[in-house]
Amino acid sequence: MSSLDEQREMRRTVAEFLDRQADPARLRTLPPPADGFDGELWRRAVVELGVGALVVPESAGGLGLTFADGALVLTEFSRRLVPGPLLDTMVATAFLSQVDTPSGAALLRRTALEGLSFAIATEEVAGAVGTGRVTETGAWQLSGRKRSVVHGAEVDVLLVTARVDGVPAVFAVDGAAPGVSRIPRAGLDHTRRYAEVVLDGAPADLVDGPGPGRLLDLMWVALAVDSVAAARQCLEQTVAYLKVRQQFGRPIGSFQAIKHRCADMAVTLAGAEATAQYAVQAAQGGGEELSVVAPLAKSVCADAFMVVAAEAVQLHGGIGFTFEHEAHLYLKHAKANQQLHGSGAQLRREVGRLAGI
Amino acid sequence: MDAPHAAVDETFRAEIRAWLARGLTGEFAPLIGAGGPGREHELIDLRAAWERTLGAAGWIGIGWPVAAGGRGASLAQQVIFHEEYARAGAPGRLGHMGEQLLGPTLLAFGTAEQQKRFLPGILSGTELWCQGYSEPGAGSDLAGVRTRAERSGDGYVLNGQKVWTSLAHVADWCFVLARTDPGAERHHGLSYLLVPMRQTGVQVRPIVQITGTSEFNEVFFDDARTGSENLVGGEGAGWRVAMGTLGFERGVSTLGQQIGFERELNTVIDTARANGSLQDPDIHSRIVQAWIGLKVMRYTAVRTLASSADGVPGLEASISKLQWANWHRDLGELAIDVAGPEGLVAVGGAYELSDAQTLFLFSRSDTIYGGSNEVQRNIIAERLLGLPR
Ligand SMILES: Cc1cc2nc3c(=O)[nH]c(=O)nc-3n(C[C@H](O)[C@H](O)[C@H](O)COP(=O)(O)OP(=O)(O)OC[C@H]3O[C@@H](n4cnc5c(N)ncnc54)[C@H](O)[C@@H]3O)c2cc1C
Repeated sequence: MSSLDEQREMRRTVAEFLDRQADPARLRTLPPPADGFDGELWRRAVVELGVGALVVPESAGGLGLTFADGALVLTEFSRRLVPGPLLDTMVATAFLSQVDTPSGAALLRRTALEGLSFAIATEEVAGAVGTGRVTETGAWQLSGRKRSVVHGAEVDVLLVTARVDGVPAVFAVDGAAPGVSRIPRAGLDHTRRYAEVVLDGAPADLVDGPGPGRLLDLMWVALAVDSVAAARQCLEQTVAYLKVRQQFGRPIGSFQAIKHRCADMAVTLAGAEATAQYAVQAAQGGGEELSVVAPLAKSVCADAFMVVAAEAVQLHGGIGFTFEHEAHLYLKHAKANQQLHGSGAQLRREVGRLAGI
Repeated sequence: MDAPHAAVDETFRAEIRAWLARGLTGEFAPLIGAGGPGREHELIDLRAAWERTLGAAGWIGIGWPVAAGGRGASLAQQVIFHEEYARAGAPGRLGHMGEQLLGPTLLAFGTAEQQKRFLPGILSGTELWCQGYSEPGAGSDLAGVRTRAERSGDGYVLNGQKVWTSLAHVADWCFVLARTDPGAERHHGLSYLLVPMRQTGVQVRPIVQITGTSEFNEVFFDDARTGSENLVGGEGAGWRVAMGTLGFERGVSTLGQQIGFERELNTVIDTARANGSLQDPDIHSRIVQAWIGLKVMRYTAVRTLASSADGVPGLEASISKLQWANWHRDLGELAIDVAGPEGLVAVGGAYELSDAQTLFLFSRSDTIYGGSNEVQRNIIAERLLGLPR
């Protein structure tokens, strides 16, 4: 981990950039279907801040940040709900950095050089389990359907989980390759675009490494970080509103019924933040503990975010129910965080299994 | 479960672990699992002897400065002590109010003479204390205290009633919040007095609790006396001193209690496995949730420890109080649900309760004492979030 001063400086640089470029008000002005993905902002962030290669090792031309430092940058993006491929790209590059394969190393170098963006495709369409096979020339081909792929139609590279002889593995697929169809789907959540990805003998590189388990672990930790960052912003914004909105001749935040709900949010969020922080350290350490901590953190943090976001809508009253205020963006983003890459119920069962319960 | 600690801390852990393993044998063997919430009536004399043994070995007040007779142990080491204490199943402490509330109060507000007079008794486990704050008319709103203390000769004469006074029946001394200025309102005119319990002017009457046992009492002061040298922080400064004590109450021991919680949860899991209720999807999911909740408390404690070298800041203590009180109360309900019909009948005697029954009932107090859930929420909303009063 870099020194506290360096971390603070880095966060400030990113925050200043985003304050200039990614005001949440700007988010609200992107009308559908142009919402959900701010490609222009992403390009500038890659050029000016190098965010595409945060955790790409220096030896491959990246910034070489630790996962924990990368998470600090992600936090700045997440609290503003910046719509773009940072989260998946950071997870993908962190995963590839742990992979010791030539194809992985080549992708990392290209990421640093060309600013590749990634999407991680794990969710299968029911009845269409993805499979990989080797062709006569020794190259891999994938077939299958993936759904709810975040920014799946916008990014350069898809990291896809698929089975080879029944064994799960991770492949990289060029989004523009033949045999890849990307069907955009309007998202419930305006801060993300979605695609269904249909692979029909699509050329692929096997980047297996630590395996799909580790890819999901990193994704879960990143979603935990994203959740608590956005939830913190949402809570702060809500509390600020409660201090100024007057009804019955006093600020509504002075009513105890409201105070207690805010206090409960603060307690829930404090626990979730500590959990996310712990999970980030575990992801960095790469030890055994991560396999329990990652699904635990994702479910705890996404649930905490949902609680805060739902309360934010309620405590704003009518305005919270409109497109004129950002409360709904948080609510929709929170629901997506709960569902993406495994629901809370699935993840808790996984935690229980690993805990031997 | 253990937090990551430095090597010196691991040496410390090994030392206390070995000492407890040796100590809880022979005459003290029956103490394993005795005492504590809902069981404070158990083996009082043996536990009093255990306090003296702990004290003689230097295990009381380990976080106090060396000059005050402590070990100057770090926050991490204090947590380790509490973890190992719980892991060993060592008995509920009779001396915790002296060690964790009064001692730190005297270190902060007491005179050199008061420290010299009272700290050794706490550290050696030979003098036990109780906390005389709550009254029938002053609970959450402590400033409503009405017990009177009047100057008389070179001391004070006390008249009034305290209530819910834990372990008053075994205590040698009580730290009392009393009104010395009858004309003053609310938190003005209060004083913090140390009052000997064994005198004719003090009467202790046990109150039967929800578990059918008694650990707290009514305490009546009827011309009870104490010397003026036992006034802490000056006349009229009682509120400031008492608030200091409350800060300590929400402090470090709760960080270490999670090992005890883990033991309780494991017992619930074992029962659920043995009686088949673990197969029930609802019970299974509640158990996993409890397991996850315990981890979240653990991670919160690890973070608090990492960010504060020498104490638990008050607001984080409020967050942690709400977190663990709710978790523990829910565990109590889970425990009795896992017990099923078996949990509906006493295990023996008139009202002899199982662990699950005791946990279910006594954990109801966690959300009341030491600042109720509602009071903690007020504190968090107003002081942490800055919502208007
Ligand atoms: C097991 C146990 C041990 C105890 N040991 C001791 C001891 O050793 N020494 C001692 O001095 N005291 C002790 N207490 C007393 C404890 O501190 C009080 O019970 C506590 O402060 C609450 O006061 P009360 O019982 O008068 O309830 P009240 O203050 O009357 O509260 C009743 C209900 O009203 C709520 N309430 C009160 N004020 C507000 C508010 N402003 N906003 C919203 N809700 C509010 C409370 O949260 C509670 O739910 C003990 C209590 C228990 C249960």
